[in-house]
Amino acid sequence: MSAIYSIIDLLLPFEWTEFAYMKNALLAILLITPLFGLVGVMIVNNKMSFFSDALGHSALTGIAIGVLMGIDNYLISMMGFSLLFALCISAVMNSETSSSDTIIGVFSSTGLALGIVLLSASGGFAKYSGYLIGDILTVQPEEIRMLALILVAVVLLWGFFFNKLMLVSMNTDLAASKGIRIRMVEKFFVILVAVIVTVSIKWVGVLIINSLLVLPAAAARNLAKSMRSYHFIAIGISVFSGVSGLIISYYAGTAAGGTIVLVAAVIFFLTYFLNQVRAKA
Amino acid sequence: MKRLTAVLLATVILFCTAGCAHRTEQPARFRVVTSFYPLYIMALNITDGVSGVQVDNMAGQQTGCLHDYQLQSQDMKNIEQADVFVINGAGMESFMNKVTSQLPKLRVINSSDGIPLLKDQTGEANPHIWVSITNAIRQVTNIAEGLAEADPANAAAYRKNAEEYVAKLSILRKKMHEELSGISNRDIITFHEAFPYFAEEFGLNIVKVVNREPDSQPSARELAQTIKLVRGSGIKTIFAEPQYPKSAANIIAKESGAAVYSLDPAVTGENRKDAYLTAMENNLTVLKQALK
Repeated sequence: MSAIYSIIDLLLPFEWTEFAYMKNALLAILLITPLFGLVGVMIVNNKMSFFSDALGHSALTGIAIGVLMGIDNYLISMMGFSLLFALCISAVMNSETSSSDTIIGVFSSTGLALGIVLLSASGGFAKYSGYLIGDILTVQPEEIRMLALILVAVVLLWGFFFNKLMLVSMNTDLAASKGIRIRMVEKFFVILVAVIVTVSIKWVGVLIINSLLVLPAAAARNLAKSMRSYHFIAIGISVFSGVSGLIISYYAGTAAGGTIVLVAAVIFFLTYFLNQVRAKA
Repeated sequence: MKRLTAVLLATVILFCTAGCAHRTEQPARFRVVTSFYPLYIMALNITDGVSGVQVDNMAGQQTGCLHDYQLQSQDMKNIEQADVFVINGAGMESFMNKVTSQLPKLRVINSSDGIPLLKDQTGEANPHIWVSITNAIRQVTNIAEGLAEADPANAAAYRKNAEEYVAKLSILRKKMHEELSGISNRDIITFHEAFPYFAEEFGLNIVKVVNREPDSQPSARELAQTIKLVRGSGIKTIFAEPQYPKSAANIIAKESGAAVYSLDPAVTGENRKDAYLTAMENNLTVLKQALK
């Protein structure tokens, strides 16, 4: 870790990198944002932006269950619950009884309401409201190592599964005819999103985690001309908004997560107008 | 149709028996409801041994201060059935005004009567008065007088209990003054605005309060400013509270070389009569160790 710190000191000799917590936050953002950019591409493609939102909300119930069971590390209970939640959503969606946005809406509000009820049963909801906003500044070195491992794993899985995922999201019939097990690929993606959302919820926060997944990819979609450039632009926008948001939040004294999302939102609207202009020309 | 009738009947019976089971309990003659934990402990001491008195705490014992407290229907029921509602005052229960104004018959004891209030920069009164023992004594006296007025039959018992408890508090205050008179370092940093009254009483100097709102995290800039302040001033100790996460305190401590100690505003804890006394004894130990 100290080697990485000194590299940061060498490359970025600014006031904001002076403190270890800012270095940690920077590293965490450099790991989380590419992850979000990458997965966000597929989420936007599959019209699943509401789904990741529901997963974020379910984290609150996961925390509540952790509190009730006396588990100190909420990550375990959150992960367990959000995996269950994600698989339930996808199972109900596959039964095709109602439209998917309705089903996700039902699950999303159920997850949130259950979390609120359980956490406020003791009258102490305020204690957990930190999870609503998240706090990237408290990220610890061992958590950064975990994030690095997850990033590597996701990139590897992406390389392996991407074509199948893409085909399923484009045309399920075509994918089935090529012998792809559609349900399995869909489940794989749902689980991946659940893991990523749950792991990062502590630092990004329930309220804004989805914006961070969706905004960079949505902005990239306005600019990209191919699948490859779509990916790279999304990751680029994600990393840029993450780092610049962190720096702005340091000097402006604002909450880091919200500032990052605002930067991403500004980029989205810029690309939107750029796209409009281009379309007219 | 038959099935429907059966279900209806079953429901009615269920409700009846549940209701009846409730009614068999011996109803308390005089019901006192306190708004939150510190007052509950005071009321427990004052009503100790007085028969027919039931003391309930509106907010749970782990709630802490009533920042952002959300009233539950159980709380409303509790208050409606109460003979006396004991509040801290000084703005702690500002959200209760609407409730109490709807219950004109409810007798409200404001324990902060006559206590000089400290104001923060925005001009708002700081409600954490009980953290100073002198103020706590005043609150105990106020509550005892209020109870004596509302339940004259037991007035003498309330006053006697209050006197005994006040005696214990006074001894503790004297002990704390004596043992803290020798400390050389009086500059402290605290989180959340709970300690101004305490600091005033024992001559401590709060250099900075990080995180005035207890349930939010300080911004990166606030952390940086605090770290620089600690580095520049030679402050060796940061006091976090057991009720809130220590993550921010740990960051500041790690970057500045200061140590984190836990100072308890006695706002959560066990439902025991001596809980406040114990919490303050522990604070004394921590302060002696941290500021020597």
